[in-house]
Amino acid sequence: MSAFRLLAVVIVAIAALPATPDVAHACAMCFSGPEESRKAFFVTAAFLTLLPLGMVAGATAWLRGKAREAEAGEDPDHADSAAG
Amino acid sequence: MSANSIPFPVEHRPQPVRRKPIVSNGVLGMVVFIFTEVMFFAGLISAHTIVRAQSAGGMWPPYGQPRLPVEETAINTAALLVSGIVLFLSWLAFRRDPSSARIPLLLSIVLGAFFVYAQGLEWVALLREGLTLQSSSYGGFFYLIVGTHALHAVGALLALGWAWHRLTQGRLTSSQLATVAAFWYFVVLVWPVLYVQVYL
Repeated sequence: MSAFRLLAVVIVAIAALPATPDVAHACAMCFSGPEESRKAFFVTAAFLTLLPLGMVAGATAWLRGKAREAEAGEDPDHADSAAG
Repeated sequence: MSANSIPFPVEHRPQPVRRKPIVSNGVLGMVVFIFTEVMFFAGLISAHTIVRAQSAGGMWPPYGQPRLPVEETAINTAALLVSGIVLFLSWLAFRRDPSSARIPLLLSIVLGAFFVYAQGLEWVALLREGLTLQSSSYGGFFYLIVGTHALHAVGALLALGWAWHRLTQGRLTSSQLATVAAFWYFVVLVWPVLYVQVYL
């Protein structure tokens, strides 16, 4: 099968997905079970998604602040940083 | 252009400016390590939250399982938090005069060791009451989460002990202290989250 044909088959298959009787959910557990359980899935999914993004943003801001301090020559803390 | 075609001797060539690192290698490495550890504990907390939400009849702790000693652990938590504050004071003292940081650093280690010891006593009491790793998901999560934190606490205490030893020899650098302190701050700051999640 040529690459073009394979691509066409994939596109048709994706386009046909909404026609299926049930909506395909990425998280099978998020849409069943008691309210308490569903809420826990949503909260933990949001927590695990946002936490690394927040940490990366925090680290970026911290390093940027350090770089600015160093440029301004106000960073006496790392006089021996080469030893670290 | 080849290196030989530069019209002046090697010793007179302009040298590239060596920039001072904005953060020491040790601290940067520790920050990356702490990121991975935060995600590890976040995974444990998430799993605990879901299992707790799915508990039979919404009853947590499950029927027949011993209750965790909330008040005693609150005292241990206070000791751990004070240990973190004292370590920060020792950092401030180190910046003024390294030798003046000896006592606060030692006090911080002692408070941390008290926390680990008291948690160990609590484990012994809970095991006697029948709460084991296999008794229920409640016991399994308790020992997994609290035990993992205790392992981190022991590792951080060993690192603090190493720092104190170097300090007494006058060989501790500020970046070494900052690296070790960052790990201890992580151990201290993650504990209140675990306490609220597991004990309350």
